[in-house]
Amino acid sequence: MGETPSLTCRLCGAEYRAVVLEPGERALCVRCDTVLAQGSRLGPDTALVFSLTGLILALPASLLTFVSAGKLGAERLSSLFTGVASLWGGGMRSLAVLVLLCGGLIPLALLATLAAVHAQARLGWPKADLRPLVRFAHALGHWAIPEVQVLAVLVALMKLGSVVDVRLGPGFWCYCAMALSLLIAERSFDFDSSAPAGGSGAATKP
Amino acid sequence: MSRPVARLGLRSNSTAAALALAAAAMLVPANLLPVLSTESSGSDRSDTIFSGCVELWKQGLWAIALVVFTASILIPVLKIAGLCLLLLGARRGDPGQSRRLTRVYAALDFIGRWSMLDVFLAAFLTGLVQFGEFSTVTPRSGIVAFAAAVVLTVLATQAFDPRVLWAADTESQP
Ligand SMILES: [Zn+2]
Repeated sequence: MGETPSLTCRLCGAEYRAVVLEPGERALCVRCDTVLAQGSRLGPDTALVFSLTGLILALPASLLTFVSAGKLGAERLSSLFTGVASLWGGGMRSLAVLVLLCGGLIPLALLATLAAVHAQARLGWPKADLRPLVRFAHALGHWAIPEVQVLAVLVALMKLGSVVDVRLGPGFWCYCAMALSLLIAERSFDFDSSAPAGGSGAATKP
Repeated sequence: MSRPVARLGLRSNSTAAALALAAAAMLVPANLLPVLSTESSGSDRSDTIFSGCVELWKQGLWAIALVVFTASILIPVLKIAGLCLLLLGARRGDPGQSRRLTRVYAALDFIGRWSMLDVFLAAFLTGLVQFGEFSTVTPRSGIVAFAAAVVLTVLATQAFDPRVLWAADTESQP
């Protein structure tokens, strides 16, 4: 493809030449309709800003009280990792590791990877260096599912509501904000951040 | 099917087929074995995924029951059925179906994560509901089988290379 930055459709493998997108514009694969890239409405630094925000939020999310539950005067505070610790202690170690990875460590790794990709693109690193990181981010994407953990907590609260007195703590809200930051950072993750002028990669058929 | 796949140097779909088969097999114990035990003021009960949904329904939490049913029962079955469709489609190699099958793949990729709901739910309840004799939740072996089934379906989707759906198309290009 020479010196022109190129894009490959993630799903069908079609090759495209990158062009700069306007904010809010999306580039679709002509063959399979997959979104190739999108110019973020919030500007070219959206992905970087939100991945850093997510990384910062991860700290209070894991330290502060997630949920507190009371029953007959007994109060129990749980943090993000209480469930993991209980599973581990109860001998279900594989399950504990899975929950820790999908709900905690992999989302963090993905945020860090996205931040690294965009920070490097900002510093004008050559695109060739970013490709393995971009591929790594895509691989992590399948396993970073904090939004599912958020839904699980809400389902659990509804289920317990009548039996136990449950209150959401600040840790849970920080975790929700982290999940949202990750979602925005992933969505505004254009595949060609090193493209010139504003950094939004996009596509035309070569 | 194997000819263009080999020539394009794509990932092998037999891996995806094997993983989908293993996931389908794992769904049997996942649905038959209890996933959670609840001990509350002397009364004990063990729930399978399905009886847990029924219990939510009986409590009047219809929306929640539907969410759990969709994530834990419907999505894993849909994913395996969808993977079979994709594997058969890739074998047949009908270029007219490429676009539709790619949409199926993208949809499977998107819905797959939500089936982890029950695993997070079990972990969260186990961590939170520990009030000694008043109320205690314990995870049971079914949840491990279920988690294994979910992980296998995700691996199967990742092992499937959607580019084989376009193999005929790519070949016709110079
Ligand atoms: Zn495409």
